[in-house]
Amino acid sequence: MTNPAYWLDRKFGLRNHTIAHYAWVIVAIAGVVQMVGAAIRMAFGVLVDPLVESFGWTPGSIGIAYALMSIVTALASPIAGYLGNRFGARKTMAVGTALFFIGMMWTSQTSAIWELYVAYGTVFGIAQALLLVPVVPAVAAWFRRHLGLGTGIMMVSWSLGPALVVQVLAVLFETVGWSSAFVIVGVVGTGILAFVLIYFRNTPEDANRIAYGTLTNDKPLVTEGSVFVSTQKEFQRFVYKTNAFWNLINIHFLGCVGHAVILVGIIPMAINKGVGPLTAAGVLTTISVISVSTRFITPILSDKFSAKTVMFLSFFGQGVGVFLLFTADSALDFYVFAVLWSIPYGGEGTAFPVVNRQYFGHFPIGTTYGWQLLGAGLGMALGGAIPGLVFDITGTYAWAIGLSAAFSLAGAVGIALLEPTRHQLIPAWPEMEAGPIGATAPEENRTLSPEAGD
Amino acid sequence: MASATDQNQKPAIPELEGFSISRPPFLGYGLIASSVFGSVALLIYFGAWAATDRIENRALASDNATEIQDGEWWEDGLIFACPLH
Repeated sequence: MTNPAYWLDRKFGLRNHTIAHYAWVIVAIAGVVQMVGAAIRMAFGVLVDPLVESFGWTPGSIGIAYALMSIVTALASPIAGYLGNRFGARKTMAVGTALFFIGMMWTSQTSAIWELYVAYGTVFGIAQALLLVPVVPAVAAWFRRHLGLGTGIMMVSWSLGPALVVQVLAVLFETVGWSSAFVIVGVVGTGILAFVLIYFRNTPEDANRIAYGTLTNDKPLVTEGSVFVSTQKEFQRFVYKTNAFWNLINIHFLGCVGHAVILVGIIPMAINKGVGPLTAAGVLTTISVISVSTRFITPILSDKFSAKTVMFLSFFGQGVGVFLLFTADSALDFYVFAVLWSIPYGGEGTAFPVVNRQYFGHFPIGTTYGWQLLGAGLGMALGGAIPGLVFDITGTYAWAIGLSAAFSLAGAVGIALLEPTRHQLIPAWPEMEAGPIGATAPEENRTLSPEAGD
Repeated sequence: MASATDQNQKPAIPELEGFSISRPPFLGYGLIASSVFGSVALLIYFGAWAATDRIENRALASDNATEIQDGEWWEDGLIFACPLH
């Protein structure tokens, strides 16, 4: 029987790409993991009012649980990345799934604020790191070339997933109450994660396949055994000695502060200028929807050209774009801002897997990416606190807007100081000694001819 | 079925001879340190500003604006740490 994916290849006229590759299953699984793993984080705003009504806790004390969860996730990210490298993303995410279930069930039964801090802030925070960090390097391992395309498709789920889950949670909270909603989402989410992990494989070699974009004369990469472990340790030491490693953590931190200020503050900023609450909420929705396009395209452009240049333009645009808010007075002004700013914002964080590939080659980037997400998480926590704090003191959002611009532009300066991406900063990751993959690869895995290189 | 990781394949020892990074990543350290210090300074500045406001508001609320009010420990700490407040 003809594989329908080959039929689709012909239908779409694909010559250098194919839909008939297991890498796309891995990308789809990564999208589902991102969607479920990030669901409750994104939906926290929906949770606040029901908890205030049920227990009489203040929004501020409930907000501490969110801040705690953000910081715990950030601090656990390098460890999650290391565990993904050492034991494989699948096992790490399985532990994350178990903690996700415990965190959700415990949160549903919470009756004291300290329980919320432990269940949601700590258990769920660790679960989120174990689910969200190792999956990105695992996807990278499935792409010998064209990583930008795989990353772009995966990153789209970051926007669409939470948008979908927030709506589902809002309906559940309204119909069955917040406690039952957590039980339902916990059980269904755990079921979905457990199901997709059955089909997840850490590397192409684990699945007895070859990576997407492998040419017939490529040799397979080392992905297991003693050489894998020892080389990984040695290469990680090289990575720590590069300026790029430290600078990329810094850049992710600065960029996340820059956009967290806007994402958290844009609705109150609009309301403060007389825009209605629903119209103001539409500004944030517009940003989420339009940024999907650049989340998709930025990694592809980064792969095709220089990730450094594309990242610089994204950060610079994100920084300069917020100046529009200084003069925004009407709903139209805010929507114009949303459309223009979401273009660079969407590309701010999605090129990191590609720039890691350009600097560190096929070295497993779990730990390295985990450190970068530590910077991102702390940046989101700081940026999220700025609008409210600054408004309480000054009675205006002007300072918050200025700080958002300053952090994003500082990130752009950091990118300008990165090493050129033309050459790897560490040696090439070792390959197997035997002949090229083309000699031994299963026929259905031979996705590209040597002429079809990127 | 043959696979990409056939059992007869052996991992090549990585060619690291002559490769070293001798110079510490001063630029990376410097940039990350400047962000950390800048962010902490920012938090101290705005925190001290907020602390000053809170103390003044309490003084006004108690109809005793001229009397110096005692701050909470964190308010005093932030004002002490900030050279601009």
